[in-house]
Amino acid sequence: MSDAGFVIAGWVVTAVALLGYWLSVAWRTRRSERTRP
Amino acid sequence: MSATALEARGSSERLLNPWVRRGFGIAALASLVALAIVGLAVAPPDAVQGDAQRIMYVHVPAAWLAYLAFGVTSVSSTLYLWPRTRALVWDRIAGASAELGVVFTSLTLVLGSLWGRPVWGVWWAWDARLVTTAVLFFLYLGYLALRRIPAAVDVRAKRCAIAALIAFVDVPIVHFSVTWWRTLHQQATVFNPKLDAEIHGSMALALWLGVLAFTLLYVYLLDLRYRLEVLDEDRDERELETAIADRVRGAGVPTAPGAVGVSS
Repeated sequence: MSDAGFVIAGWVVTAVALLGYWLSVAWRTRRSERTRP
Repeated sequence: MSATALEARGSSERLLNPWVRRGFGIAALASLVALAIVGLAVAPPDAVQGDAQRIMYVHVPAAWLAYLAFGVTSVSSTLYLWPRTRALVWDRIAGASAELGVVFTSLTLVLGSLWGRPVWGVWWAWDARLVTTAVLFFLYLGYLALRRIPAAVDVRAKRCAIAALIAFVDVPIVHFSVTWWRTLHQQATVFNPKLDAEIHGSMALALWLGVLAFTLLYVYLLDLRYRLEVLDEDRDERELETAIADRVRGAGVPTAPGAVGVSS
């Protein structure tokens, strides 16, 4: 893989990790809200 | 416990006003876009490392944010342990921030590996900085596991606060590892022993944009994660009350209505 490939991979991993974490918090919050009486 | 009940006992579900939180979210998104433009298109390639160095604009901010997140966990844990400031809000902030710290630490490790392969020729090396960062990751993973062990809220909060302070000892070790030992990892570019930043122009701009973007995102996510902490605590309390009620019913102990969970 070229240097550019590693750079793109790094930035994509960053975007996926941060977006994924945000979605995971949103999903867990929604699930907790649903079980609330 | 309902939202009204939470408010009645002086415990808000949020750290930030909704408009402030939204502002942080929009500012974080805008600065992330600016970071991508400056880091990938405006800043020139490094004279030695070429384009591979562009990973630094996300790797270094991720590492600093991990320090910040664990720092917030430690300060909050101290405030919880200090009798005069003891309040569950500090325990919740500590837990929320620790999870964010683990996310940023794992990102630091993965990005470091992706940077190390083209520059060092290896994905991983048993280098002091890398090993102490991996230890940091596992220490706080352990902290998060400890938070999930069922216990009374105050008991859990106290033992987690102590664990957080013990785990934080590794943070300065990670930072100074490149100074204390001869390592493959490069010396600190900004917070070096001379405190003389060795980065300038658009490269420095990209780095500081990364720090700004990740910090704004951290504040935004901390507020969201704090609310989840409140909801989880609420659910745990309800489950405990139900379990006690079931046990009392099973044992045939006569109880007055509303006496569930009250010890005599």
